[in-house]
Amino acid sequence: MLFVLCSVSGYGQKEVYLSREAQVSFVSDAPLELIRASSSGLQGVIDPEEGTFAFRVSIRSFDGFNSPLQREHFNENYMESDVYSEAVFSGRIIEEIDFEKEGEYTLRAKGKLSIHGVSNERIIKSEVVVEKNEILLTAFFTVLLEEHDIDIPRIVYQKIAEEIEVKVEAVLKKVER
Amino acid sequence: MGIFTLILFFLSGVLPAQNPYFQTHPLAEAYRNARLELIFEDRNSLLWLGSSEGLFAYNGLDHIPYLTEENGDSHVRSIYQDAEGVLWVGYHSGAVYSLENGKLQKWEPEEGTPAVPITGFCEDGQGRLWIATYGEGLYFLDKGRIYNINRDDGLLGDEIYVIKKGPDGNIWAGTDGGISICSYKDNEKLLEELTREDGLPDEIVRTLLLDEKGNFWVGTYGAGVCYFDTRKQLFSYPFPDWEYGVVSELELFRELELWIGTEGDGVRVYSLRDSSLKPMSLDNSLENAKIYDLHRDVEGNIWVISNTHGLCHSNRQFSFLETPFSNIQAVLSDEAGRFWAGNGEGLFLWSDPSSGIPEFQAQLKEYELNVISLYEDKFGNIWVGTFGEGIYIFHPDKEDIRHLNENDGIANGSVLSMAGVNGKLWLATLGGVTELEIEADPLLMKSILTHNFDQEDGLGTNFIYKVFIDSRERPWFATDGKGISVLENNQIQNYQYASLNKDSFDHVHSLNRVYSITEDRNGNIWFSTAKDGIFKFDGNGFQQLTVKEGIRDLAITSLVTDPKGNILIVHPNGVDILDPETCHLIYYDEEVGIRNIDPNLNVVCKDGKGDIWMGCRNGIVQYITLKEKLEIHPRTILNAVSVFLEPFDFRNRNRFSYDQNNLVFDYMGLWYTDPETVKYRYQLDGYDLDWITTRDRRVTYSNLPAGSYIFKISATENDAWLDEPVIYYAFTVQMPVWKQGWFLFLIGIFLAAVFLYYQKERDKRLQRVSLLEKEKAESQLAALKAQINPHFLFNSFNTLAAIIEENRSGAVEYVEKLSDFYRSMLQFRDKELIPLEEELEMVKNYSYLLQKRFGNNFSLQIELKEKQVFIVPLTLQILLENAVKHNVISKSKPLNVLVCMDGPDYIMVKNNLQKKIKPEDSTHFGLQSLVKRYELISKKRIRIEENGEYFRVSIPLLK
Repeated sequence: MLFVLCSVSGYGQKEVYLSREAQVSFVSDAPLELIRASSSGLQGVIDPEEGTFAFRVSIRSFDGFNSPLQREHFNENYMESDVYSEAVFSGRIIEEIDFEKEGEYTLRAKGKLSIHGVSNERIIKSEVVVEKNEILLTAFFTVLLEEHDIDIPRIVYQKIAEEIEVKVEAVLKKVER
Repeated sequence: MGIFTLILFFLSGVLPAQNPYFQTHPLAEAYRNARLELIFEDRNSLLWLGSSEGLFAYNGLDHIPYLTEENGDSHVRSIYQDAEGVLWVGYHSGAVYSLENGKLQKWEPEEGTPAVPITGFCEDGQGRLWIATYGEGLYFLDKGRIYNINRDDGLLGDEIYVIKKGPDGNIWAGTDGGISICSYKDNEKLLEELTREDGLPDEIVRTLLLDEKGNFWVGTYGAGVCYFDTRKQLFSYPFPDWEYGVVSELELFRELELWIGTEGDGVRVYSLRDSSLKPMSLDNSLENAKIYDLHRDVEGNIWVISNTHGLCHSNRQFSFLETPFSNIQAVLSDEAGRFWAGNGEGLFLWSDPSSGIPEFQAQLKEYELNVISLYEDKFGNIWVGTFGEGIYIFHPDKEDIRHLNENDGIANGSVLSMAGVNGKLWLATLGGVTELEIEADPLLMKSILTHNFDQEDGLGTNFIYKVFIDSRERPWFATDGKGISVLENNQIQNYQYASLNKDSFDHVHSLNRVYSITEDRNGNIWFSTAKDGIFKFDGNGFQQLTVKEGIRDLAITSLVTDPKGNILIVHPNGVDILDPETCHLIYYDEEVGIRNIDPNLNVVCKDGKGDIWMGCRNGIVQYITLKEKLEIHPRTILNAVSVFLEPFDFRNRNRFSYDQNNLVFDYMGLWYTDPETVKYRYQLDGYDLDWITTRDRRVTYSNLPAGSYIFKISATENDAWLDEPVIYYAFTVQMPVWKQGWFLFLIGIFLAAVFLYYQKERDKRLQRVSLLEKEKAESQLAALKAQINPHFLFNSFNTLAAIIEENRSGAVEYVEKLSDFYRSMLQFRDKELIPLEEELEMVKNYSYLLQKRFGNNFSLQIELKEKQVFIVPLTLQILLENAVKHNVISKSKPLNVLVCMDGPDYIMVKNNLQKKIKPEDSTHFGLQSLVKRYELISKKRIRIEENGEYFRVSIPLLK
């Protein structure tokens, strides 16, 4: 992950946006159970010059489950957090946006989304508010368990949705590097 | 003569090239500001036009707007119909819409939509939809997700001009860096490329066109057009010195020509037959147009969108060429490809027709020929038949010229037609037929053997208009007034009468004057007459086609068969094409630019490519047989079905409720060649008795009764109604619910249930009545038992005996009371109910009897006010008797019985309880029977209460 962050920033002095307060949450809305969890451990960087970005979050940092047991299941049984400790999304922004210009934009980020050790190419749409030295970013997207080889035992099939809705909210601040 | 040449040269200089005739299709005034840029034909062959202001459907007459609700999404950049028939529309804004239920729906996937113009759609071999953008590369849909391919993935450029499906099912994308060939297999994006290194002449690829062989025509920005053979993987360059700028669009007529649209140099047409490149004029002037789009439709029309003419179209089968001379009397296309035309003023040669630019040179001027027929023999000699001057024979490359006239043995100096085969040539003259032997070059032969046939030999007349050689090498002759003659085995057979009905001689038709002869693909001979239309002769019988069969002009000048085997009927108002099997006719006239051509008799010829040339008063019409399968009928579409003007989802539904019986059908017949001529006929099976013909594109049916119907609609462009396809829409107007079987069935069931219920209730009631009877009998029995109770009698008589001793009058009273009691009992026992009063009277009698027996040890107290009620007879008597029967009655233990009201509805009989130690024998019949009887006649039940102190029974009162 460090490599990704470094590679995005490249050589020499340049301006990048680093996440300050960033939250990622997900909802699994299954017929029998609604599971919500969130993490404030999202880290991200956007290189405005290259249009590249990278975001990561530690799977173990997710909290807010219905019960501690559920959290344990999440980490041990489904996400296998000891083996696949984090989720990563990195790539390049499709639109060309001038981050010097304040305003609201819709951006589409094309990159590799890696969850549970399986990496898929995805396009994720996000609403972005560019302020002076700061970016406010909101994104919704869905993750199909099947796409990331996350197996759900038949018994809890009705309790976990096949399609997980993910929301990202992040504030990124401009820093010199 | 010099001046003449000069004038000819001058004329040919300003004359425009040979051209199809273009008609423009301006947008309605309301869309004046819209700039048309795109034309797309859907599977119903309806045209869709993309403009800067939105999307239009176009049927050749009306523009039907399909506008989006968002202002920014108006400039249409791409239109596509997917395999399921969904129409996709891409906009300059990056928005993508699909047409669903007649409305444009914005496509809003989770991934968002591009922010740059959508320049194309395409489906790959696996059915995935690909979307090309100008700035973000390619997108494709796979299992509900959208993926992107851009420069980062190895795409040659993010600006895509065009995408097309290649012969292998891959997606070919034209970019600023060459052609990227993309596919997606096993979650892998696979990209191949064609660039300058592979032989692409320019890296900017503006347009791609797949031909019928699976190879691509490639239009580039700076290097014109090249051709890529996908099997050999080789480029070829037909235009090494392209000088017409940016290529914007390509369209193809199979094996005929490639139409090339440019950004500033109009349309160029590249002939695939002779490799010539000709400018195409849209209105007979040379223009520097920017071409937005080109499209070939299913009728053989070419549609062009340009900045100068907007949308215009032309039928590619016909092109018209003005000639500097008029009133053409003979035409000939020779083996070398030269074109010859003759008229009253001489013979003219166009050496290079493939140039498209008519440059005629007068020939044999010194002879001042009146040319009426032309022929080329197998030696390349041109035979010129004249009016009155015989025949001139010459070779274009040689000096020699030979003149043949009556002196040389030909029948007459006026030679109207010539045709030859196998070293023989037949001349149709005004003096019969001359057969010439030309086994050797006639320019070198000393004398030519001739043989003449005339009326004496069986020829119809000596005036012969036309000689035609059929596929069996028999010459046929069109005679002036006596039908047709054929020469077979040196015998002339003449057909003057056509028997139209083989089984009867009623329809024998005199053939009279025959002008032209041809043969269809099945070997039938067709000929035209002066006034009676055309006839088919199959060797046995004749078939006539005239006005009724759709022949619209009987002044037919020529018949000629095209390479597809269809027959062209040439007449002063245009050309009709006849399918010899179905006899379907297609009319071509002013809309293809050939109105009032006024051709002379048999001034037609076929060239080496199969094209047909027709000489007219002011020019030449060229007819090209297209290789594509062309539609010969208008395509009929049922657009909408409305109920009380509300659109109805008729594609998925066909049931109407009884009150949805006001139906409007909207339909159209697409015939772009001449949309104005389309007529319709419709019939509602189950309502209309016959077809109804109309020009309207809408029909209304109001107050349709319930029933099953089939709406049938068909369109024609030629009024023939022979084999026009019919569109069907079957539907049902349902009965009102109260007339429908299932409803009546339910009603039936309901009535049956009611009846059964009634029956059951009646049975129950009868049962109850019989029970009542039984109980009544039982209580009567109980009472009778009491009456004849020996104890009672015994006691009564003892009492009586005692009274007689003491008190005679008292004894009399006692006996009276006793007899009263018995009489009452006998009276009441048959009755259902008696008034309470009467019962009380009897109880009082009874009580008197008891009191005489027990003295003061027994007392009955009656506290009743309510009298207007009824009671089951003997009720109180039985209760009183029970009380006496079961209780000790003595001085120390007197029995007190109270009869009083118990609430408003009950009468209560209560006695103090002092049970006998040895109970008297009892059947308990009396009380039980009472309880049952009351159960049957009243909802209220008898209440019995017993405690240590008293015993009481409450009887419901019946009102």
